[in-house]
Amino acid sequence: MGAEVITVSTDTQFVHLAWQNSEKELRDVKYPMGADPTGKLSRQFGVYDENTGLALRGTFIISPDGTLFNSEVNFYNLGRNIDELMRKFKANMYLARKATEACPSKWKDEGDKTLEPTAKMVGKVWEALNE
Amino acid sequence: MSETTNRLQIGQSVPDFELTTYDPTQGDFSEISLAELKNQGKWTILFFYPADFTFV
Repeated sequence: MGAEVITVSTDTQFVHLAWQNSEKELRDVKYPMGADPTGKLSRQFGVYDENTGLALRGTFIISPDGTLFNSEVNFYNLGRNIDELMRKFKANMYLARKATEACPSKWKDEGDKTLEPTAKMVGKVWEALNE
Repeated sequence: MSETTNRLQIGQSVPDFELTTYDPTQGDFSEISLAELKNQGKWTILFFYPADFTFV
C-alpha cells in the first residue's frame, strides 16, 4: 500500500521478539517492531509519559517528503480503530495528489464524493454532498 | 494522569530518526530509518503503544 507501518514501544527489540513468538494474536504481524527504550522518539512525538516510562497509544502519518500529516493519541485504556486509521491514511494519500479537494467525514475510499471548497459552497454544503 | 512534553505539530517536518527493530518477517533484528523510507518514496505510519504483552 506504499507505506511502512512501524510499531513502537519503549520495550527493547529482545522483548519484541519474545512477545511476537509467544502471543498467538501476533502470529501474522509483519510490521517491524521498533525499540525506543530511551523514549527519545516517543518524546519527539509527545507520547512519552514521564510518570510511567511508557508511550501512549499515538498514531502518526508521515508523507514521503517527511511531513507530519496526521496524528491521533489515545490514553492507555482506549484502543484504536484500524478502519479509521486506514481511512485517514487513504485520504492523506489522495489529498497529497488533489490539493484543491477535501475529504468529508463519510469519505472512505477513492471514488467517494469529495468537496471542492469554493465561495459557491458557502451555505450549500448539504447540496454539495447530496446532489 | 500522564505527563508528556510538547510534540511535533501537523504540517511540520519530522526530523530523521533511526530505530532498532525486531522484524517478524525475517525473524531477526534490523534497523530502520526515516531517511531510508523517504528515499524509497514511502509513507510512514508510526504506531506507538505502551508495552509488549498488553493489548495494542
